[in-house]
Amino acid sequence: MSIARRIVTLAGVVCLTVTTWAAASDPIVIGVPTGLSGANSTVAPAVVQSSELAVAEINESGGILGRQVRLEIADDGSGASGAQRAFDDLIINRNADVIISMETSAARNAGIPIVERNQVPYIYTSLYEGRSCSPYLFANGAVPEQMVGPIIDYFIDEKASKRFFLVGSDYAFGRGMLEFTRNYIEERGGEVVAEEYQPMNATDWTSIISQMRRNKPDAVIMSTAGGAPNVTLQRQYKAAGMQALVGNLSVDELTAQSMGADAEGIYISASYLTAIESDANTRFLERMETYFGSELLTPNDLSVPQYDAIYLYKAAVEMAGTTDTDAVIEALAKVSFDGPRGTVQMSAQRHAPLTMHLGRVQGDGSVEVVQIFKNVDPGEQCPTT
Amino acid sequence: MTRLVTGADANHTYLGLPLHVRFKAVSILTGLALLVVLIGPFVLDPYTQSVLIRAFLLAITALTVDLLWGTTGILTFAQGAFFGIGAYAAGLMFTHVGYTVGTMMLALLAAIAVSMLVAAFVGWLAFWQGATPLYVAVVTLVLPIVVVQLIYSGGAFTGSSSGLVGFDAPSLSMSGWFWFTGTIMVLLTACAWVFIRSDYGRKLNAVRDNETRSRYLGIPTSNVKIILMMFMAALASLAGFIYACVGTIVAPEHADFVFGTELVIYVALGGRGTVLGPVIGTIGLEWASAYVSSILPFVWTIIIGAIFVVVIVVLPEGLLPPIWRALARRLPARLANTAKSKRATVFHPLVEIGAKSSTTSLTQPALSLTSVTKRYGHLQVLNGIDIQIMPGELVGIVGPNGAGKTTLMRCISDGMERSGGTIKVNGKSIDHKSPEGITALGLGRSFQNTSLFGSLRVSECLRLARYPHYKPSKIDTADRVGLPLAAMEVLESTGLQAQLQEQVNNLPHGMKRALELIMVLSLEPSVLLLDEPTAGLTKADRLMIGRILTDLQTRLGLAIVLIEHDFDFVKQVCSRLVVLHRGELILDGPVQEVVNSDLVQEIYSGHVE
Amino acid sequence: MLYLFLDIITTAAILFIVSSGLLIIFGVMKIINFAHGVFLTIGGYSSLVVTHFDWNPWFSMPLAFVVGCLLGSVIERTVLRFLYHRPLDAILATWGLGIVLGQLIIIGFGREVQFAAGPVSGAMELFGDFYSKYRLLLIIFSVLVAGAMWLLLKGTRIGLQTRAVIMNEPLARGLGINSSRVRLITFSFGAGLACLAGAFITPLSSVDPNMGLPWLVSAFMLVLVSGNSFLALASACIVLGGAQVLASTYISPVIGGLTLAVLAALLLRIRPKGFAYD
Repeated sequence: MSIARRIVTLAGVVCLTVTTWAAASDPIVIGVPTGLSGANSTVAPAVVQSSELAVAEINESGGILGRQVRLEIADDGSGASGAQRAFDDLIINRNADVIISMETSAARNAGIPIVERNQVPYIYTSLYEGRSCSPYLFANGAVPEQMVGPIIDYFIDEKASKRFFLVGSDYAFGRGMLEFTRNYIEERGGEVVAEEYQPMNATDWTSIISQMRRNKPDAVIMSTAGGAPNVTLQRQYKAAGMQALVGNLSVDELTAQSMGADAEGIYISASYLTAIESDANTRFLERMETYFGSELLTPNDLSVPQYDAIYLYKAAVEMAGTTDTDAVIEALAKVSFDGPRGTVQMSAQRHAPLTMHLGRVQGDGSVEVVQIFKNVDPGEQCPTT
Repeated sequence: MTRLVTGADANHTYLGLPLHVRFKAVSILTGLALLVVLIGPFVLDPYTQSVLIRAFLLAITALTVDLLWGTTGILTFAQGAFFGIGAYAAGLMFTHVGYTVGTMMLALLAAIAVSMLVAAFVGWLAFWQGATPLYVAVVTLVLPIVVVQLIYSGGAFTGSSSGLVGFDAPSLSMSGWFWFTGTIMVLLTACAWVFIRSDYGRKLNAVRDNETRSRYLGIPTSNVKIILMMFMAALASLAGFIYACVGTIVAPEHADFVFGTELVIYVALGGRGTVLGPVIGTIGLEWASAYVSSILPFVWTIIIGAIFVVVIVVLPEGLLPPIWRALARRLPARLANTAKSKRATVFHPLVEIGAKSSTTSLTQPALSLTSVTKRYGHLQVLNGIDIQIMPGELVGIVGPNGAGKTTLMRCISDGMERSGGTIKVNGKSIDHKSPEGITALGLGRSFQNTSLFGSLRVSECLRLARYPHYKPSKIDTADRVGLPLAAMEVLESTGLQAQLQEQVNNLPHGMKRALELIMVLSLEPSVLLLDEPTAGLTKADRLMIGRILTDLQTRLGLAIVLIEHDFDFVKQVCSRLVVLHRGELILDGPVQEVVNSDLVQEIYSGHVE
Repeated sequence: MLYLFLDIITTAAILFIVSSGLLIIFGVMKIINFAHGVFLTIGGYSSLVVTHFDWNPWFSMPLAFVVGCLLGSVIERTVLRFLYHRPLDAILATWGLGIVLGQLIIIGFGREVQFAAGPVSGAMELFGDFYSKYRLLLIIFSVLVAGAMWLLLKGTRIGLQTRAVIMNEPLARGLGINSSRVRLITFSFGAGLACLAGAFITPLSSVDPNMGLPWLVSAFMLVLVSGNSFLALASACIVLGGAQVLASTYISPVIGGLTLAVLAALLLRIRPKGFAYD
């Protein structure tokens, strides 16, 4: 080889090494603010695990556009002030290219102005009351239009329920869900005999149970705040010997398991259940088991959308060819991902049509899938999109 | 009950400077602080700036807690609720009506008006005559709970638990907000600093240290507290309003009681009553927690909680005051001496108040009691007391312990105490007037256990005693105060005028009694109630007090009522003696007659000699 | 109607059990123990421990009481003893302790909602419909607690000393009563009672680190309107608890949640003695 050639080859090798090294040291940063402390601290660890698995898998197969992915977790305290700090920290200090998280609505709302100001895409992965809109916000969790239908349809069609009693916690999610539920029931010809709310941290449901006794409904729909209110209502309901059908819009699989006999017989509707029979889910569960071993926290409807969202982001960046926000946002509305929940695509006004599963909790805590509703539309979430 | 010395007291040494010197010092420090705020955005990273912007606003709110709790003794958990009211006023207006300068002004006005109204209501609820500080604290705990519940119940209108977001608001750059909030914080802190060192600030300290004595000096303590609460609510509300504009989100957690208690913790750690302590403490702790809590979410809370408990038990004045004192000791001697130079208050005698007493009719009783009774449940403590005391009489009330003497005195000085009967001071009925109202009728009272303001200086106590005549300045301390001649005489003859800068806690017992008497005399009363004025005094002091009282009676025509056990003193001084036994008035007549009567001997010693 | 009546009585019973520990502390020491909520929570976690080890659920009650007494005595000796002449600071110190203990519970037990087995479960048939057996049992428990308190205060020497200290501490000390010891015993007992109450209410709900919080303000208000009389507390629980149930049932549960606190605050304003007969 001539010297010129050698120099060019050497230059080429050096360039290649430098760019590969640069790529390796210029990772794509995914910021995950979540409730490590505060009200969401029971589910946040599972969300973190989903995130970790997704990022590990992506990095193993070469990253996104040749760049490694780095995961940055911050505590949002499950509330607005903590979220402001966490978003600022992730975006300003840790250079997050995207925010993907499961949070309370107050936290999400606090973060929206910050992502808008800094022009960072934000994928919200929690099920919620719907209608949160921003040019930078996408949501792949279930909304009332998707969660309520399965239960009500089943109760009315299969169980001949006519009289419904609605009970919830007095907060945005509780009220949003039950308002939608009432409309849905009435549209389907059912009757709402009562709609009652208790303050958010209430654990004494005595007066409401007495009212249920008086009204003698065929079915009770519950949309209470997660944690103690949800659990105490279910427990006291059972203890009072009430017999009506129960559709619980707030309890997840894990909590239902821990409730034991008190939760037997209740119906839940979710976009993800561990009992879903699909290859994707089986493989997902196997990989989670392998990766986390004995520390595995059961994946549930609040943590699995996080896994989907990270892959959706990967797909969007690959479609856009860049992490540039405008291009990514355009792509996020188009890409899709086949995961444990089936095919997910945030194509409906920045929200995602989802396959909803109606489950019935068994005495041993497991959930039996009773009916599957494919591709339930989220409805008009952000009409001006 | 004496208070523990706080940081404010330790810094007392800097108080004695003339106003213009103090203003110079404050201006220089304020200027420096503003300079620091100015250069902030140029040296600090954006994350720290955003953390500090929020910290500044919280510091303003902590300031209001300090003025209420540290300065005036009102433990309140409600300032968070007022912050929330301000924030939600902004959020609601901008969400439902939209943002313009006009709507912003309107919302701000609404925020302040609503919070002041709510504060007035809470004040009415909490600051009534018999309220314990405990009741006040619990009521202030209930307010945020109610406010948060209202927010939750507001559904889509208030955003419920999710809060309100996405509204337009004044848009400033990060630096702009930093300068704005920093400047406001510095200026408010400077104002507060000057305020707590003014005479009005001393008045608030007096209310904190001894509310009863304050009322008996004619200070309407309930009104003072309510007004303070209203203004502090307005300030907290302003801080919340700005907070909403900065972050463009409002959520219930900005109004709840956890927030309220956090503020109290910040003030306690920073140094209650010192103004600077809470402000610096809040900013420091917020800054620290932004960094630490993301690394160790649980541990930070435990650390703060544990430090808080330790501070409350062991270092109640807070963490910063001891540090300042240590630093102050290192000041160059000259600076320290200038700082320590105490500016004396000059007390000058007023025009002879003999003129006043001549307006008191000589035919109308100065004090008149008719069928006065007092019951505790089934226990009758006073049973149908009838007495008329004319101006110029010096009456002694004697009787064994438990006869009801102090109770009688209480019934005369506090309109809510008696169960029945009429009491008139200078012909005017006391009805159910409060102590401060009765003081205005011309009554002055001293207490069995000398009731003073432990952490104040003698000169400050005397300034306070002239309260209705000298409106306390909110910026300055008066350097000249007039005292009635009688008070001046006691001041001079007891030698107290040489100890005007002494802290009351440090006075010997005799001097404290003298001070109390001077303070009472400063009210220019026409009726004096003295509860065991000679208790604990030396023989020489007793003689002196006796002379003073006789002088007041003869020269100024005061009506004086004493409760006494010292029969020698009573014989020396009183013209008339009244004997109480088991709640009934059993003897009333000239001293010699009563003292030598068989009945009195039997009551006191159980048998007749 | 029967159910409304039962709701009121059982709610009053629960409130009484929850507040009695606070009352005894307030009566003797004139301070409100802001750590009361945490003690309730600790009682709940005692039940959890019993469930975890598969012991008899009835054991959770004595266990909770003992744990509470021990913890209370430690707190009194190390912290509260120095704060008696500063009641407001005592409130703050107990609040701070509550925060610390609460965080320790989270670290030790995790933040999830967990379940403890109750000694009795299920519903009882009553006139054609069902009512929770355990709630009815709580009426009996509250009477037992009240009876035990009465016996202790009126029938024992320490009870007599306690009553003396409540009425007039300086005089009691002048008579040779060791008021410091009385305070120690009282606080420990009050804390034990609070933990016991936590164990009592656990079968009705669940165990989580914040379970004591909703009861805190209600307990404070009830104690403030009761002065230092258990009889007054019982009356307050029935009247205010009843108002709460009625408001929850007929107006809205949200208003009901606020009823107790607001009514109590207003009542004290109008009649400072509250429910106490003086």
